[in-house]
Order: sequence, then structure tokens, then C-alpha cells
Amino acid sequence: MTSGHFKVTYQKDLALFQTLWIKIWLGILIFLLLIVPLFLSRYPLSILNEMGIAAIGAIGLNLLIGYTGQISLGHAAFMAIGAYTSGLLTGKAGFPFLLSLPLSGLMAAALGMIVGIPSLRLKGLYLALGTLAFGFIVEYVIFHWDLTQGNKGMAVPRVNLAGWVIKTEAHYYYLIMACVALSTIVSKNLVRTKIGRNLIAIRDRDMAAEAMGIHLTAYKIMAFGVSSFYAGVAGCLMAHYQRWIVPENFDLSLTIAYVAMIILGGLGTIVGSIFGAILITGIPHAITFVTDLLKENLPTLSKVIVDLKLGIFGLIIVLTLLFEPEGLFGIYRRAKAYFKTWPFKY
Amino acid sequence: MEKIIEILFNGVSIGAIYSLIALGFVLIFKSTGILNFAQGELVMFGAFICYGLTVLLKIPYLLSFFVTLALGALLGILIDILFFRRMVGEPIFSNIMMTIGLASILTSVAGLIWGHDVYALPSLFTNKTETIGGVILSLGYIYTIVVSVLFLILFILFFNRSLLGIAMRGTAEDQNTAGLMGINVKKVYMMSWAIGTLVASVAGIFLAEQSFVRLAMSHTGIKAMAAAILGGMNSIGGAIIGGILVGVVENLSATYLSGKEIGNFHFGDIKDVAAFAVMIIVLMIRPHGIFGKEKIERL
Repeated sequence: MTSGHFKVTYQKDLALFQTLWIKIWLGILIFLLLIVPLFLSRYPLSILNEMGIAAIGAIGLNLLIGYTGQISLGHAAFMAIGAYTSGLLTGKAGFPFLLSLPLSGLMAAALGMIVGIPSLRLKGLYLALGTLAFGFIVEYVIFHWDLTQGNKGMAVPRVNLAGWVIKTEAHYYYLIMACVALSTIVSKNLVRTKIGRNLIAIRDRDMAAEAMGIHLTAYKIMAFGVSSFYAGVAGCLMAHYQRWIVPENFDLSLTIAYVAMIILGGLGTIVGSIFGAILITGIPHAITFVTDLLKENLPTLSKVIVDLKLGIFGLIIVLTLLFEPEGLFGIYRRAKAYFKTWPFKY
Repeated sequence: MEKIIEILFNGVSIGAIYSLIALGFVLIFKSTGILNFAQGELVMFGAFICYGLTVLLKIPYLLSFFVTLALGALLGILIDILFFRRMVGEPIFSNIMMTIGLASILTSVAGLIWGHDVYALPSLFTNKTETIGGVILSLGYIYTIVVSVLFLILFILFFNRSLLGIAMRGTAEDQNTAGLMGINVKKVYMMSWAIGTLVASVAGIFLAEQSFVRLAMSHTGIKAMAAAILGGMNSIGGAIIGGILVGVVENLSATYLSGKEIGNFHFGDIKDVAAFAVMIIVLMIRPHGIFGKEKIERL
């Protein structure tokens, strides 16, 4: 009798849904996600929407940092490019949303690939610096270009899906969740096939990967392109959801929040990025909730909330790196292994 | 002509501050291999400590200057013990992210203690000027340059002559071998964080001299990073020259490009991104900086 779960063919090892149980749990999750808007009011739904947008961006960043090992600190800039592209296309040029969503992703991807070119010569911290500088320059350009209206901000029209205008929080929820589901499936498929294995090989040792016949140039630039595409789509959704964008939305602190997401969730895991996105987006709301409760006793607390948020993000990054480098996904995996064999040790 | 000299002088003096901050980057990078993204925050912290001592506690300026240096060194030691001691041997990405986390924590703590207001730091040189050959030069700027040059000489001597300096260079080359040779690697790390933070505090005080004490001071750190990259991350002389170059480029672009327009694009405060543009160009052409040594990778 076999105990545990054994894979005897390569097809099974590569399968998207490995066991029947995963399919069942996934079915339950999808069902719950579908009916959730019926029970929730506007505020919790808006939190879920923010989490969904963050999840798309975090998956993109994890593909680049966690899977390919290219440190990028310009993620917010790519989101800004996506947001402003879609804002300009739908607002000024009258494009339909269904067209501007992929176009904003492609615009970000094109610029991402240009930024990715130096990654062939730059490694580690030099790449981090290059992308950081790119982020500042994008912020500067948006600030000073008449087209993007600088710090006055730019209004973005409502989402118009072939004549049907999305107005309520619940409709946004379904739109965003559909995008999250699509991007999760695409990224899962990406990392379980040849492309994903090549990216992991580049992360682990790029020179060795090149010696094994992996086209380093193509794959590094592709990783930048895919990651920026995700960022662009996330930015586009964010723009249409907030319906008002200013350059400050996309400053360095947004990049840091995304980096915190993937570190907390677990580098090199898709599920981890989603965990991280949920938690990092949820924490400020939790802080707001607590400060609201304590408002009567501590009236000064609401003034320091911005500082607290930043400090807590920093602490999360530092503590995760010190005590749980695998992130939440590592905890999840250990817990799963523990319950699988319980009450035995192995 | 006088205008050009003034522009260049002002560029050099702000560049001297960039040099000091870049020196902190290089010091920490040279011995620990960590690029400290929190250097700008340490600069800001140093300035705030000095402000707290002189204005809030009313300690004389010179005394509080040296107390700030001592506290800065202590802060560096604390950072090493709390954050980086356990990270020895971890991948470079984790270390970089650690410094980014540290930067957020430092900004948050400074915001909680001192708030988001802008303060002035009264010093011995405020509003004092010197006129040399028809060119008006600020006394504070002159002192900044003098102190930077002093630090440069001190550190070059330190790294080439003193035992600890040589130990630091050895550790930078290879941690494991250095340990086997009897170098106390932990002590070397602690010392480089202490010295790096001390230099950052000096830079912070001088920066406060030229502008104000506020949270946004930490942005200067990223510009100084551009300076360090320009000069080469493992060269002390490179950091100084890179800093001065960035300062001069910034001042030139502020004078000749600001307020201009091309089509519907306003250049505005181009000063703030000039350093980054220079950095990207340098990274593309010579990734290891002007004086940096290229690290040869072996499999």
C-alpha cells in the first residue's frame, strides 16, 4: 500500500492541479469568491478590490524578483505607466476599456523591456539602482508633462464594457477578480513550463544557465516584459478603480509595499504573492480600524498613522527576512506537511 | 565669469556633502558587501539628533556636533547587532531588502519623534559669507568642503596604513578567508557600520547647514548613491569625485535648464533628476564606475 501522494509520470508532476483535493478546495474558493459580494457592504468590498489589484502587481514582481532573480525597484513606475496610458487612451482618445487594458499592459511591457536591457550587464545591486533611477525619472516626467497634468491629477473615466458602465463596488469586484484569476492562471502556467524553468535556472546561476544553452538575453528581457505587463495591468485597474490619479500614487513607497508583499508572501511562489498582497493591503486597514477604536482614549494616534504604516512595512520586511526567509508560503508548506502526517513526525 | 565660478563653487560644496554620504556607502560596501539603501535615512537621523541636542536641549553647537558623531556611531553599532549580524552569508537580495526595511523603520521613527515639520539648525556659520575676488562664498560651504577633504585624507590613510583598515579591506575581499587569517569579521562589520553611520551624521549636519532639517533630507541619500556609482562603489577617491561631479551637474542643469520648455514638457526642477540621469548613463556605459574595479566572475 502506498502512503502519501506519488507521481509516476512527468505529466502528473507538471499538472496544474495536482490532486483531486486541490480541485475541490479550488472549487469551494471560487464559489465563495463569487457569492461574497452578496453579503458584504461597500467598505469590505473595496478592501477586497484593493487586494485583488495588489495581487496582480505582486505576482508580476514575484515573476521578476522571485523567479528570475532580477532585483527591480521600479515596479511603481511601471504601474504608473499602465495607469496613465489607460487614463489617456480612454479619457482623451476614447478607446474602449477592453482595448486599453491590454494596451496599457503592453506599453508598460515595452518600457520594461527597454529597462531590462541593462540587466544583461548589471547584476544585483547595480540593477536595483538602475531601476530605482528609472522610477524617479518616470515620476518626474509624469509630474512635468502637460499631457499627464502633473500634480493636478488626471481624471479617469468609468469602466465601459461594451456599453455596460461599471458603477458599483460589486461590479468592480467581479471585474478585478476575473483579472486576478486570469493572471494567476497565466503565471502558474508560465512557471510550470519551459519558460519558468529557464527563469529559475537564470536566478540560481545565470552563467551556468547560459552554459546550458539558455538564451540569457531573451529570457531576462522577457522576464522584465512580463513583469511590467502585470504591473501595467494592475496600474490600469487601479486608475479606473480610483478614477483619479496623481504622481504621488506611484512613488517609492508603493514599490516598497510591493517588495514587502513578495518577501512576506514568499519569493518564488505565486500563491505567496497573493498571500502577501492580501496581508500588506489589509494591514493599513487594520491599523485604521484599531485607531478608530482607540480614538477616544488616544486622539493623537490618527495623526501618526502614516508613520506607523511605513514603520510596520519596514518591520515586516526586516522580521520576515530575519526569522522566516521563506515567507508565509514557507509557514503554509510546513503546516501542510505537519497535518498530512499527523500524528507521526514523518 | 563670476557667475560661473559661483555656480561651480556651489556645485562643489553641495557635491562635497554628496561625497560624504557616498563615502558612507563605500565604507559599508567595501567591508560588508552591503549596499546600504538606508544611508540617506541615517543622514536625516544625524541631522535630527544634532537639531535635538542644539535646539531642544540647548547644548552648544560644537559640543553637540561631537555628541552627534558619538551617537551616530552607536546607532551604527546597534543597527549591525540588531539587523545585519544574523544576515552574514545570506544572499545579496536579502541584504539589500533588509536595508530598505531599515530605511522605512528609520523614517517612521524620525516621523514619530520629530514630526513632519521643517526645522532650521542654527550653527556657527549660518548666514556668514566671505568675499574672495568679487565672488561671494558662504562660510558654511567652505567648511563643508574642508571637512570633506579632511575625511578623504583620513580614510585613505585609515585604509592603507591602519591594521583595522587593512582588515576591513581583507574582509571585503573574502569573508571566509579573512576569518581564517585571524581577522575578527564580526568586529570589522560592527566598525564599518559605526564609521559609515558616523560619516552619515557629519553629512547630515552639513546638509542641515545648507538647507533645513526635515524628513525629506533622506532623498539626498539616493542622489549620493548616484555619486557612489559614478565614482565606483569600491573606491574612496571615486566617491569623492563622483559626489562633486553630481553636485556640479546638478547646479549647472538647475541654472541652464530649469524653467525651459520643449513642446508641452516643462523641465521644472530638473535638478532633482539630473543625478539619476547621470547614474543611468554611467550604468549603461561603465557599470563599475569611473574608478571601480570590475569583479571577475568565476563558475
